[in-house]
This record gives sequence, C-alpha cells and structure tokens, in this order.
Amino acid sequence: MEQSYELLPEQFQINPSLPIYEQFVDAIRGRIVTGLIPPGSRLPSVRELAAGRSVNPTTAARTYQELERIGLIVTRRGQGTFVTLEEAVIAEARKTIMRKAVLEFKIIAESLGLSAEQMLNFDKEDSNDRQ
Amino acid sequence: MTDNNRLSVPYNEPVAVECQDVRLTVKKKMILDGISFQIPTGSITGLLGPNGAGKSSLLRILAGLTLPDSGSAQIFGKPSGVDRLGVLSMLPDRANLPGWLTVEQWLGFAQGIYPDWDADKAEQLLLQLSVSTEVLISAMSRGEEARLQLLTCLSRKAPLIMLDEPFTGVDLISRERIASAVVSELADGARTFLIATHDIREMELLFDRLILMGEGKIQGIEDVDTLRRSGKSVESRYREVFA
Repeated sequence: MEQSYELLPEQFQINPSLPIYEQFVDAIRGRIVTGLIPPGSRLPSVRELAAGRSVNPTTAARTYQELERIGLIVTRRGQGTFVTLEEAVIAEARKTIMRKAVLEFKIIAESLGLSAEQMLNFDKEDSNDRQ
Repeated sequence: MTDNNRLSVPYNEPVAVECQDVRLTVKKKMILDGISFQIPTGSITGLLGPNGAGKSSLLRILAGLTLPDSGSAQIFGKPSGVDRLGVLSMLPDRANLPGWLTVEQWLGFAQGIYPDWDADKAEQLLLQLSVSTEVLISAMSRGEEARLQLLTCLSRKAPLIMLDEPFTGVDLISRERIASAVVSELADGARTFLIATHDIREMELLFDRLILMGEGKIQGIEDVDTLRRSGKSVESRYREVFA
C-alpha cells in the first residue's frame, strides 16, 4: 500500500540536545491523534525511518517500541507496523497530550501569580475588547 | 519486532573492537599515548577529535596496516593484522582510485579483489548514491569520487566498517546521501561502524557512542543517549572537551 501521509513533516527539526526518539514519539503521537496519520495506516520500516532522517537505527527502533508500548501502533508479524484501529487508545493518547498542555499552561499561570481560570477569564475579556 | 529489539540492546552484544593501552611513536613523536576502549557489535561509534589527534593512526593500527609500539588491538576477539582484513572494510583518508578506469571497470576489478564482494549491494548503492557507471574516475568530481569510495567500502559484507573522514571535500547533498547510505547499511544487520570525522553536524544524529581523542589520548567516551538526557548535544560535548 502506498503511503499517503507523512510520518513526520518534511521540515521537522530535530533538537540534537534532547533524546531524539522522544521528539519522534511526541511528533508522531500528535499526528496520529489529530488524524494526520489515519488509523490503520502502515508505517515505514525502522530502517526506512532511520535512513530517511539519517538517525541511528536504534533511535527509530526505540520510537516504535515506545509507540507500541502506549498502544498507538501495532506490529503484525510478517506484515509490518500499523496505526491502531482502536479509538479508545487514540482517545487516551489525546488525553495525555491535553494533560501535558494543561500542566504547562498552569505552570505559566502560576509563575504569573494567576490561576488557570483567571488566565482564561482574561482571554475572554481580552478578545471582547479587541472585537 | 525481533529486529527492533535486537537493535536496541547493542551493549549486550559481543565486542567488535577492543584496544588496550595502544602506544605509537613516529620519529620520536608520541602519536598514540595509551589508548584503551571497546566498541560493542552493532554500534555506530564516532571517533572525534581535531586534526593531528591520532585518529587515522589508530584506524591504521586497527586495520593491521601499522604495528603499535606496545599494547593490543583486537577485532572481534582476535588481534588486528593482515589476516583480519577479511572482517573489516576501511575507507582510508586520502585514498586514490585508479583514474584511468571507468566506474564499471573499477567495480569489476573490486569484485575480483574482495572475496566478500556483494554485486547486488553495489548495484543498489550505485542508485542510492547516484554514481554513474560509464564515467572515467579521473573525470569525477571530489564528491562523486568520495561516493564511489564509500560504495566500494560498503559493497563488501565485512561486519566492521571503518570510515576515515568520509566527508572531506564532499558537498552537502553528497554528505546527506552518504549519511543515509550508512544508516540503511547498519539497519540491515549486525554491522559495526567506526567513523573518524571532524564534520560533526552531518553525523551527530547517527552516532550512539563517541570516542573523543586529542593529542594521542582518549579525552572521553560517551553514550550519546546519556549525553542528550543531560541536555547536551554531540557538538556541545565536543566543544566542552576541545575548546
């Protein structure tokens, strides 16, 4: 089956000062959750991923291991690796991203001496003012 | 996933290269001053250091082309030497291919020299590295010749590949092609790479281990994942050690 999506955007920038497989996992998880990589899609092989990005094959292998551990991808013996068809798993991954975003939001709010709610109220007033 | 699992645990695999207290003096000048390290099978190790650090001398000792004054160098558990040439494929620094041959003639020649030559692999690499077969080697650009040399090196089935400055005089696109070819080679089996270079940027995503060498001594041996976990890149570590 021809691949009709991009596993990672062509211009994906790797930060060489952080573990690379974590950057790959975050990016691919985001793309699965938002549907950019549809459920059931066949993923490139570890080797193709590594060669395509010129990263160590271990990095590519670890990326898939981690995605497999959280259930977002499944390996079918002799057929390859696919995005899960289980909506519940994708929904759970979506929650993980949301939790992380909310946590970051709260940390910023806290550093400003505000609650998350005060920040959201501010946003409401601010956008009313601008209209 | 058996393939993936195997790739992720290279440190449990046998040792591909081992040096113990290797010393070399040339004309009373200390070139290698007590070099000791190990490389596990399946690793892509970067041998990094400034010019004159002793990297090429070390590779020549591993290849059995130079004898150390003292100390031992072992390849897959046996001492380096001419009889170990069959298990390693080396891309030497400043190599010259016979300019009067065409690429096709050279490849025919290489097939005759190397008992472990893989003609199918050579075909595949010709495409991957975009090397055309009818050209005279003397008419090739530096980048093309570098790609042909790498092709020659990778078309053997030897389990240990040593590359000495594979990027010297090579343009950006060729560098990317070379890096990508190296990756797909590694991923298809248990090959071990030892790559001496000072062009860190093109290669830093490839390495899983670093051997930092300066003034004939080991200045550091690093696990690249551990470095990144502490917020450092290969390049920043290199600067820390050598700046």
